[in-house]
Amino acid sequence: MFETVLQALFEGFSKSLEIFVLTLLGALPLGLIISFGSMSRFVPLKIFTRGLVWVVRGTPLMLQLIIFFYGPGLLLGTNIWGIGSQGRFVAVIVAFILNYACYFSEIYRGGIEGIPRGQYEAGQVLGMNKGQIFFRIVLPQVIKRIVPPMSNEIITLVKDTSLARIIGVYEIIYFGEKFIKSNGIIWPLFFTGIFYLLFSGVLTLLFGYIEKKLSYYKV
Amino acid sequence: MKKILAALMATVMMAICLAGCGAKKPDSDMQYVKDKGTLLVGITDFAPMDYKDEDGKWIGFDADMATKFADSLGVKVEFVELADWGKKIMELDDYQVDCVWNGMTLNEEVLNGMETSKPYCKNQQVVVVKSDVADKYSTKESLKDLTFAVEDGSAGQDVVEANKWKSTALPAQSDALKEVGAGTSEACVIDLLMAGAMIGEGTSYADLVRTVSLTEEDYGVGFRKGSDLAEELNKFFKACYDDGSLMQIATTYGVQKTMVEW
Repeated sequence: MFETVLQALFEGFSKSLEIFVLTLLGALPLGLIISFGSMSRFVPLKIFTRGLVWVVRGTPLMLQLIIFFYGPGLLLGTNIWGIGSQGRFVAVIVAFILNYACYFSEIYRGGIEGIPRGQYEAGQVLGMNKGQIFFRIVLPQVIKRIVPPMSNEIITLVKDTSLARIIGVYEIIYFGEKFIKSNGIIWPLFFTGIFYLLFSGVLTLLFGYIEKKLSYYKV
Repeated sequence: MKKILAALMATVMMAICLAGCGAKKPDSDMQYVKDKGTLLVGITDFAPMDYKDEDGKWIGFDADMATKFADSLGVKVEFVELADWGKKIMELDDYQVDCVWNGMTLNEEVLNGMETSKPYCKNQQVVVVKSDVADKYSTKESLKDLTFAVEDGSAGQDVVEANKWKSTALPAQSDALKEVGAGTSEACVIDLLMAGAMIGEGTSYADLVRTVSLTEEDYGVGFRKGSDLAEELNKFFKACYDDGSLMQIATTYGVQKTMVEW
């Protein structure tokens, strides 16, 4: 029995991991783009992106999943996700990327706005253009500063993957609960906690290591 | 001498036994209920059959009918919430309740252990699809290529899996319905009781219809084995059906489509 459960939980956890990895791959760059939007000097763009961030951060991710997946069919009359498990998974990834990109964008913005004016001026003195200044001088310093708040969000993401179940994507909690419904056995559900704990433990160690590696220039 | 004594003792014991049984079990269950003045109705919380309103009063199709039945007997009704659905026959035999009236499926166990009324309600596992494609899926054979949405652990899921149809398991029957409404699944399998109340005109799912019924189960009311109340209830159901009050109550709770004709 233990092996059957473990096998099912691993199957579910691999789905959770897929959601985690794909969301990070999409949300890390998209968050940077959104943060440029909210810092833009072009007012309509700034209002639009800040409004978007407000809506996305101001509503539960669970509701966003339901709206993304069922909204087109129920409200507009055309289902854009197709039928079957493929569409469900894509919908989950799209909703997760947008949600996390908005949270990340605010962290990026805080990091970028915290870089002193003098750093830009120093770049200009050296004859760099805007792009060079940003990618060679500003961004490396931003990354250093945002590691702790980012690790916070990323660990939250690990646990948020459990919301995918709401639209029928079978992640680890689904498999844990399945044993209650089919066999009347409750411990697999509690056991899923071990998976989350171990994985977030690994991430904590990883971020600790990254922070240490990036702590050059410290006096 | 010994033989006479033995025969005498046997007679006495039999008499005591009969007297004892007689005192505990009246000849007529109906008379027993009428004498004590209350009908104890065993239920659980099971909308839309038995559930509590805002004031904590038991309502629902079964609760309302039970109240009406008690009135017709000239006794008060008292609802007893069964702590353990699995021990309902024991509760009857112990005289803790006089009947079990709670959308009870008439299965082997119930039919053997109770005196049951005729079925008054037919629940089914039904297929729900969008109305514009309903014509294409009017037979069971036509369903085999569809992708279904079902409630995880439900009777509907059992049917779909037994037929080896493709399906997605969701947390609740209402989620399965949402899938069909949004077009993310082509069909779902849910209880007829639920379908009757949740789809069609006046709901958010006006464009959904039910087509095929896959399995059927009868609901009945259970009394103690040998009770004459079961036959009395059959007569009561027929009378209520004839004067229209049964259908009126059924419509109140949205279960009119599952009612049987009397």
